[in-house]
Amino acid sequence: MVDFARVQKELVECHKDAEGSGIRVAPKSDNLVNLIGTIPGPTGTPYEGGVFQIQINLPEGYPFEPPKMQFSTKVWHPNISSQSGAICLDILKDQWSPALTLKTALLSVQALLSAPQPDDPQDAVVAQQYLKDYQTFVNTARYWTESFAKTSSRGVEDKVQKLVEMGFPESQVRSILEAVGGDENLALERLL
Amino acid sequence: MVSDSVAAVPIPSAANTKNPGKKKRTNRSAKLKQYKIDARREQWLNKGAVKNKGCKDGMDDDVHVPPSSGKHAKQELEKLETRRRGEEDDVLIHQESDSESPSNSPVSANSSVLCGNDSGTNFTGSSSSGGSTSSSSSSGGCCSGNITEEEEDEDEEVEEEDDGCLDDWEAVADALAADEKHQNSSHNEPAVETDSSQSREVTGGSGLGHPNSKPGSGGMVPRGSANARAWRADDAFRPQTLPNLSKQHSMPNPDRFFGGGGPWCRTSVPSNCPICCEDLDLTDTSFLPCNCGFRLCLFCHKRILEQDARCPGCRKQYECEPIETEASVHGGSLTLRLARSVSMIERNQYTFVSINVKAGQ
Repeated sequence: MVDFARVQKELVECHKDAEGSGIRVAPKSDNLVNLIGTIPGPTGTPYEGGVFQIQINLPEGYPFEPPKMQFSTKVWHPNISSQSGAICLDILKDQWSPALTLKTALLSVQALLSAPQPDDPQDAVVAQQYLKDYQTFVNTARYWTESFAKTSSRGVEDKVQKLVEMGFPESQVRSILEAVGGDENLALERLL
Repeated sequence: MVSDSVAAVPIPSAANTKNPGKKKRTNRSAKLKQYKIDARREQWLNKGAVKNKGCKDGMDDDVHVPPSSGKHAKQELEKLETRRRGEEDDVLIHQESDSESPSNSPVSANSSVLCGNDSGTNFTGSSSSGGSTSSSSSSGGCCSGNITEEEEDEDEEVEEEDDGCLDDWEAVADALAADEKHQNSSHNEPAVETDSSQSREVTGGSGLGHPNSKPGSGGMVPRGSANARAWRADDAFRPQTLPNLSKQHSMPNPDRFFGGGGPWCRTSVPSNCPICCEDLDLTDTSFLPCNCGFRLCLFCHKRILEQDARCPGCRKQYECEPIETEASVHGGSLTLRLARSVSMIERNQYTFVSINVKAGQ
């Protein structure tokens, strides 16, 4: 059973400091188990200027078990899967502590963006590129940020609205859009 | 004039509580006395300088003291005059009660000798400053000392009418505050000691005729008043050893855990469990499962023992590992037992603090 009192408190606290940290957590639905976190790309990195969405899933044992986090915005990063958005971060696995919160976890993810660990990669291709051709890595990461992280939040909403107006249920539209990485035409094909 | 302080010295606190309550009346009788002294002085000056000249003071127009007239007649006249002036002076004081500072300097004392109406200003809200003026001015007019002392007897009669115990607590509190304020403001001035002793003389008004008391009383009386007052929490001179009651009773800010800045520092006890956000009860707050100082409620602790048994604050294994591998009930009972022993120590500390509070106040 998720400790909803604590989750609620965390949301309130995070909302209070949203201006300072830029980190936001909002419930995706009204059950407080599925949440969406947003982190700004750290300055001085290829991710600067982007806003990255992270899908948060609270397990039954939260806060004694770590929250499941996954990028829903596509990121080019050695420790983040360019396919699924899975994050390789110790505090989200064995180093989780119940004293951590969603906000501190998201802060750690933000720190991971500015300090990649190619020796412990999640995405081997990106890690290889990071180690062998750093400049290409930076260019690709910046390109991905430009393409997916800058307009994604607004763009996705627009796409969702368009598809909903076509007569599809909103939840289905959202899940499929996320599954296809925000590509409107692919989502439409799947919906049909 | 000297002797009244004796009555105040043996029981400084009693004299102190008595004193401020009578402040108003005291001021008035002191005023009377001051005016008598001033009138005497004027008389003497007139005698010494120009014969049959009227009073220098504009306010003293009605004082026409024939220098050759009999002493009793003079006194009668002065009494009448000073009483009337004392009443005038009530108004004067209300207007000028804030200008208190110059009264202690010898220059102003001299000027008050020369100009009779200056002395009215010197009796300000606090009785002690009035006392200082009377002392300085009386010492200024040394030649008239005999006469003033003689007249003191008559003054006492007047004062004794006013001498009554005060039963109004608010007045006492006000007077205490005023007294304290004055003592703080005139802390560095040498006149403070004689100030308060003189004021006791003026106010005490009962024990006339003990001439040997002045040097001792000057030192004793202020100390007594310092002992008798209660410390306010924001007082700069408040001893730091006194415990702060408001701090003792208020729980720490519940937002502190999320606010950052060392949520589990050793010294502070959070009011909520940082894991489940429930309020920590007495057992929980006295429960310190890990050396790192991270506190949590017993339920969360038990839950963690059932899982990886690592402290959420430092990620180290909890010490009571071997028992935790047995049935979880045992783990729970162990934590309870631990909590009890820890809490006994802390309760002893609490009682110690409360004893301190009693002693401090």
